[in-house]
Amino acid sequence: MPLDGWKENLFQRYLTWKCRPARIRRHLRTTLPGSLPAGVEKTADRRKIRAAAVQVKLNLHKSPLQFADEMHRRVREAVDEGAVLVAFPEYNNLPLLGLLPGIEQMEESYREKAISPGKTHADEDKQQEDIKLTDVFHYMSPAVKPLVDAVFSSLAEAYKIYIMAGSYTLADNGSVVNRSFLYGPSGKMLGSQDKVHLLPIEEEWQLKRGDNFNTYDTTIGRLALPVCMDATYFETFRILEQNETDIVLLPIANQEEYNYWLALRGIWPRVQESRLYGVKSALVGSIAGLTFTGKSGIYAPLELTPEKDGILAEVKPHDREAMAVADLDLEALHELRHNDPWRDKNPALYRRYFPEIYLYK
Amino acid sequence: MIVTALSLQGINLNYLEKYCDDVSTLAKKHNSRLVVLPAHTATVLGFATKSITATVSEPVADNLENSSRQIWVEQYLESHSKLARSLDIFLAAGTLIEEKAGRSYNSAYCFNPSGELCTVQRQTHLTRFEHEVGLSRGEDLTLFDCDGLKAGLVVGNDAWHPEIGRIFGLKGADLLLHCDAREGELTCWSQASGMWAQVQQNQFWAVEAQLSAVIGDKVYGGSSAVIGPCEITPGQSGYLARGYPHSKYVTAELKEKARRQIKQKYPLLKLLNPEAYRDSLI
Repeated sequence: MPLDGWKENLFQRYLTWKCRPARIRRHLRTTLPGSLPAGVEKTADRRKIRAAAVQVKLNLHKSPLQFADEMHRRVREAVDEGAVLVAFPEYNNLPLLGLLPGIEQMEESYREKAISPGKTHADEDKQQEDIKLTDVFHYMSPAVKPLVDAVFSSLAEAYKIYIMAGSYTLADNGSVVNRSFLYGPSGKMLGSQDKVHLLPIEEEWQLKRGDNFNTYDTTIGRLALPVCMDATYFETFRILEQNETDIVLLPIANQEEYNYWLALRGIWPRVQESRLYGVKSALVGSIAGLTFTGKSGIYAPLELTPEKDGILAEVKPHDREAMAVADLDLEALHELRHNDPWRDKNPALYRRYFPEIYLYK
Repeated sequence: MIVTALSLQGINLNYLEKYCDDVSTLAKKHNSRLVVLPAHTATVLGFATKSITATVSEPVADNLENSSRQIWVEQYLESHSKLARSLDIFLAAGTLIEEKAGRSYNSAYCFNPSGELCTVQRQTHLTRFEHEVGLSRGEDLTLFDCDGLKAGLVVGNDAWHPEIGRIFGLKGADLLLHCDAREGELTCWSQASGMWAQVQQNQFWAVEAQLSAVIGDKVYGGSSAVIGPCEITPGQSGYLARGYPHSKYVTAELKEKARRQIKQKYPLLKLLNPEAYRDSLI
């Protein structure tokens, strides 16, 4: 384990101390404006729930307060647009790698490795190479988790809104999970979701996958927060639909060159298949030789969108900061679900094949 | 393998012989090994040739109607069996009503190059209208050999139910043939949410024949398509070929080696997590 020397242990304690919730909360209190918007009512208008999907550009933050300020700025932007539900991207902990001393050199080493995979590194670089990203995620967990909790809990409470804080790679009983979080207007963390379907690279990193899909009842409907690759598979959304989920909040970080059709393959078809709203928040930018692209957006069944294209709002850039905002109508969604001439279920067919068919894979 | 999907636009439908000539000419022109016809082809052709006075796409209670329909159905199947044999092709001949044990099913038929019926696939997910006219759901999905590829038929509305693609995909399907007819215009968005979405999450090929014709007062304006995993299609669009509502046909070559490579590189089905949905999809 390359990060368990005395220096590393000492720095970890220092980092955890710098990220302590009391400090973060105190800082945010000083930066919150005097008069705040009303936020979400106890009995929200189910015909008009304004959601915002934040697109975050990857920048390394050198201090936890900088991270808190940045998240606050993005939340404030969404609140100014009237949003009561705000979503952040997958791997929202990557900007926090900036808290590590020497991260720039390490990043450079990873970037070079990504550009020339066959390149031989000098001995001094070898030590850096031995440090896997999973080790770093594990190492930073004691600081990152309380920081994230303090930032989003404070912001959700201050603005009286729901925030899906994005997903974070965190230590969990000796493993690392990719976990998304939901905060409510009371400031309480309402729940979390571990990514159920891992990318090959995440399997390589030995992340632990989730084994169930959670839903959370709120005043703005039943919410779920699966993570990125989970939207590649219809099963995720079908189960959430069966559990009467209204809005799926999906943090993503797609590591590929942007292409319209490739990007269309995730949440958009899932929303059409399973009749719910989808709010996708993307991480964009580059770090450690990894480049992320995407477009944050808010999606609905074709019938519930003005252009009949399944898109309520989608940002234009795929590589810069942006935000998509749209209103969701839960009554219209329920009406469609109960009065859809095209949808059918065939329990006899499903009983014949599920779940045994999965053994074929 | 070269595949072709017809919409019936531009095909002479007034005489059975001329219809067969037109289909033959197209198949030969492109050296197609597989031709897919849209749903309701038998009804469109039956009305145009004045062989029937009632649709063969819905159950009919009237005995007299039933007997004339039966004669036409036999003639239709026989002529397509001959067509498959003479052209040495696999021919997915669209849909017909299949009566069995007092139930009616909307079924698609496919002939092999010997002219034998290699599979009959019942539609498993019905629209409200199809329920109302008395159709029943099929409860099985079968694959057949198509020149070494495992192929299956997808009937009508089944394309918009992802359970179908998943079952076929996990059974090892390499290629799905979709016979469909959608009233009104099938928009690119609606089309993408059907077979296109199923192809992308299961990494098989799909040949989609959409009807472009008028039956009575119903107008069908679909466009056919040949679909593959995004990574191995032009512009990564997922479409090897894509028609417009009034296109006569689409044709494309399926490069199986490329598809197998992409499946190996991105093994989507291997990354499924059945433990998470073991008891939830029934």
